[in-house]
Amino acid sequence: MPATSPDLLERIIGVTPDSPLGNLRSQRPDIVRHTQSSHEVLLCPADPGGLSLSERALIAACVAEASHHPALTRHYRQLLAERGDPPQTQRLDTILRHVNRVATAPRTAQPAHIDALRAQGLSARDIVALTQIVAFVSYQVRAAIGLALLAEGHAS
Amino acid sequence: MKATSFTLEAVDWAPWLEPVAPDTATPAQRAALQASPQAGSAYFRTLANDVDSLAERSPLFHAVMYVPRGLKRAERELATVVTSIVNGCIYCSSVHARRFVELTKQPEIIRALYEQGLDTPLPPRLRAIVDYAAKLTREPAAMTVSDLAPLRAAGMDDLEIHDLTNAVAMFANANRLMQTLGEPVLPDSAAPPAGA
Repeated sequence: MPATSPDLLERIIGVTPDSPLGNLRSQRPDIVRHTQSSHEVLLCPADPGGLSLSERALIAACVAEASHHPALTRHYRQLLAERGDPPQTQRLDTILRHVNRVATAPRTAQPAHIDALRAQGLSARDIVALTQIVAFVSYQVRAAIGLALLAEGHAS
Repeated sequence: MKATSFTLEAVDWAPWLEPVAPDTATPAQRAALQASPQAGSAYFRTLANDVDSLAERSPLFHAVMYVPRGLKRAERELATVVTSIVNGCIYCSSVHARRFVELTKQPEIIRALYEQGLDTPLPPRLRAIVDYAAKLTREPAAMTVSDLAPLRAAGMDDLEIHDLTNAVAMFANANRLMQTLGEPVLPDSAAPPAGA
């Protein structure tokens, strides 16, 4: 499984722990640790509740794709391929429409969008988890890009 | 009443989902809430519906915003205000603009950003922070190594740039949670905020 690498972000950026960037990150151990474990609890939870492991991988892939981050898109597409596509249903359409909205236009969200998710059977926990996945990947994309710029600066 | 403009006044937040009630919270939810900045707030109690993600996010947020050394706290706060302005998050911008003002005693900088926009004239180091935060928020994939040059010219080292990046990234996260699980509301006693 892709998440077995010691640190996903370092793998995505292509740096090693003993590189200048790895040393820089080691000055912020809590950021490294909780970024990695956020990925684990959101994408690989022991109890996924009403949001399946396939749906979680697909949501993350859609956010990475909407954010134009090829390496993270590949990572989440790979995770999805291992888990299999979730069934194409109206529920999935509703979820993905909301995911796209939260990823690209969060200011347009309305209470009716939450009602639409509930009408498809998502619980409060499922809706919070869905939103946390979109929010986490939005964080992860920007952290990865900033780190990659610093690594590029060192390489040149 | 819904808050509809950026402000230096305190703003409340009303959830669109039922928050976890203190008297029915599980031990894990209580522990995750205790580790959050404000255990009793409707926002953190809403996030507690998915307790494992909250339990990881609160220490991540704390590490990004408050861990010592590196980028000054006021500059992290400024970066999060800029991110929140670009995303349109009235609640986050209010909280972190007030933190910036507490730390710097410079409300005029926030007022200029609110009223004149992100292009308002600023000292060079703040200008560099605002530009980096706005672009990383708006179009992360368009960032290039040349976007670091103004930060370097303003004297920032790698750790400061690292901290700035993480503050901006953390508010890509915070704004989305805050804007799509509920809405900013004016406190009952507050007058409508002045200005646009």
